[in-house]
Amino acid sequence: MSEQELLNELEHVILMGHINEEDEGLDGTMQGTPGTEELVKKALEEGIDPEKLLKTFGKAMEKVGEKFESGEFFLPDMMASGECVGNAMEIVEPKLAAGTSYEKGKFLIATVQGDLHDIGKNIVATMIKGAGYHVKDLGIDVPADNILEAIKEYEPNFVGLSALLTTTMTEMEQVVKRIREEGYSDIKIFIGGVPTSQEFADKIGADHHCKDAMEALNKLEKVRDAS
Amino acid sequence: MIISDAQQIKMLSSSEMDLIHEGTCRVLSQIGVKVTHEDIAELLVSKGAQRKGDRVLIPKNMVEKALADTAKTIQFDAPNPDYGFTVNASENQAKFGTGGQALYMVERTSEGWKEKLAGAHDLKQILALCDQLENVDFITRPVECDVPEDQMDVEKAKIFRDYSSKPMNLANLFKRDRLDEVLDIIGDPAYVSFIVCLVSSPLVMDTPSGDKLKAIVEKDLPVAISSCTQGGSTAPFSEVGELMQLNAEVLFGYVLANAIRPGAKVLYRGIPITSNLYSDGSPRWCQPESIRRVALATQLCRYYNIPCCATAGVSDEAEPSAQAISEKVLCWTYIIASGGHYINSALGMLNQVMSVSLDQYVIDDILLKIVKEKFKKNESKEVSHLAMDAMVEGLKLFGITVDEKIEEELRARIEHVEKSLEPYNEDNVSQQVDIIEKAVTQSGGSTVFMKASRVGLRKGYLYTGNRIDSPLDLTRVDERLEAVSIPE
Ligand code: B12
Repeated sequence: MSEQELLNELEHVILMGHINEEDEGLDGTMQGTPGTEELVKKALEEGIDPEKLLKTFGKAMEKVGEKFESGEFFLPDMMASGECVGNAMEIVEPKLAAGTSYEKGKFLIATVQGDLHDIGKNIVATMIKGAGYHVKDLGIDVPADNILEAIKEYEPNFVGLSALLTTTMTEMEQVVKRIREEGYSDIKIFIGGVPTSQEFADKIGADHHCKDAMEALNKLEKVRDAS
Repeated sequence: MIISDAQQIKMLSSSEMDLIHEGTCRVLSQIGVKVTHEDIAELLVSKGAQRKGDRVLIPKNMVEKALADTAKTIQFDAPNPDYGFTVNASENQAKFGTGGQALYMVERTSEGWKEKLAGAHDLKQILALCDQLENVDFITRPVECDVPEDQMDVEKAKIFRDYSSKPMNLANLFKRDRLDEVLDIIGDPAYVSFIVCLVSSPLVMDTPSGDKLKAIVEKDLPVAISSCTQGGSTAPFSEVGELMQLNAEVLFGYVLANAIRPGAKVLYRGIPITSNLYSDGSPRWCQPESIRRVALATQLCRYYNIPCCATAGVSDEAEPSAQAISEKVLCWTYIIASGGHYINSALGMLNQVMSVSLDQYVIDDILLKIVKEKFKKNESKEVSHLAMDAMVEGLKLFGITVDEKIEEELRARIEHVEKSLEPYNEDNVSQQVDIIEKAVTQSGGSTVFMKASRVGLRKGYLYTGNRIDSPLDLTRVDERLEAVSIPE
């Protein structure tokens, strides 16, 4: 396979949301054939410039976005492609020179203590990872202490908090307060979940409210562009 | 209401039911439930369960013992003795109630429907209204009070005491240590029942809910053990897989409740709906494929011969509408025919359980009457015909002209409810158990289910049809609302 053929094939498997040999891909027929992870490893072994891989990821995700807009692709397709790129980034990352421009930033995400809802949070985490951010997902029911500890250790640029219950919105408020109190004024805080709103975000001192994963991606890109 | 044996439907054969049961037992004995509550884990182990890391594996004989031990009849009393009733597992008797923990009240204004945050005052109004509606047999807490969490139980109990004379399902108990106070306020524990969402999907026991279940069962109060899986996000997208996981989650509750107190008064509340994978993953409560799945869970409960708390009539629509009417009537009809006993969330609910509306309670009361009459008048008629007749009559009553296009749409929905799109065989069961195991053992389990749903999505698991869009004539609702007295 020539370099171009390999990159084309990589773009194709990302589009098909074929993560690795184990999954069936978009049409259910791809199990056992090389997926994104295998092809990325192969490309690196063959000495293909990691930057070219990143370009391919970008190109593939752009097509995924177009197909989603046009109604040909659905949420799970987008999630699978996002996961392909997220996993591929983990393989490519160590090969990249430190501080290169495609490091989009680190995003820490959690569902606050007392709240077990994670469907929306998982979608957001996968999509952000697929867009090339580093994502650390602390899971559900996460106490404020753990979130602060993780911030100290991981040094994120962005923190995302999810709350689906009116009762856990107050916990969200506490977490934001603690983050600010501990002096992390640069961290941009994103919040989401059914009962939350931009008004609520303003009230508790969070930076952005997002009604869904798409809005999260858009706002995130805007914030990054602005800085 | 009572339905005839001829009207009771069984969409799966008994060998297909056996297959789901065996698959469920595999889920419970191989994958088990994550339990971080040490006392509960120990209790289960003392009764024969095994531990594997933080998971508790439940062997088949424990499941079957719980099913044998559990209460087969449950009495629900009420301040007005005329409203009391008994649920008997083997009877085809359906009772209807409200449901909720909705966030919003939807109100009619001169500029159309408006949403506002719900609170204690709304709870009073809803209870007062439903006390006067003839097709509301019991009250499940529709909205919470706008008071701090530690006062929620007590505040709610006071409002129930003051505004309801029907059997009272307080649903969620916020603070276990306030249970005695709640019972004191209500005056007689025989009026009270609860709902506990014991297991979060997929297969993780919620620790505080474990404590609440224990407190409720120790007092011998009736409790519905609830699981609301969303195929495609918290459970397999496949109906076979979702049913097995849901059943495992509910039956785990039966095992625990009957370990705490053999003969526990538990109701089976299984709500296997789907996730809207065409858009944002939000739940689809009242679409044909979800109605089919909830009907199957109801039938599964009857196969076990245990009391069934079904959920039917939560519209996906944000406000009262023709579409909401068609969704609700179709759903009730199939859940009644499936043998649901204690059907909650049946009235008032909109917007995927997020909203309720006084107008909708009245609309639903009128519609339920139509559905009941259809069953009563046509003792041997097939459920598909009853559903069609009731939908058409319901729509017409609210001023909608039912033309051929609408009839065609309604027929397509009925067809989707009745049609199986998957094989019920060993292969499918094994494949689904694998997916569940993978989702349970990986973080971000919902993404596992989502990715595995791509093929099913293209096979049409999610119904795609047309919304029924037509303005409502609400004269009847106005008349009814004028005739009742509700607190200002
Ligand atoms: C599924 C569900 C559950 C599942 C959760 C499974 C899971 N693994 O997540 C289970 C059954 C476990 C559950 C349990 C409970 N639930 Co619940 N649940 C829901 C339901 C039906 C759907 C939520 C969902 O997944 N939506 C789909 C996703 C894709 O949307 P989303 O979460 O909103 O996320 C999107 C955006 O909000 C945003 N977003 C979300 N988070 C974040 C974070 C960031 C950083 C950003 C940028 C964006 C973002 O982007 C997401 C993607 O587009 C909602 C009702 C509803 N329609 O929302 C009730 C609901 C949230 N639950 C409710 C309740 C009451 C409960 C229980 C208390 C029930 C009980 N009586 O025990 C328990 C509480 C458990 C707990 N301690 O958390 C209520 C809350 C009402 C209130 N007053 O607070 C709701 C509104 C339903 C209702 N009216 O009864 N629930």
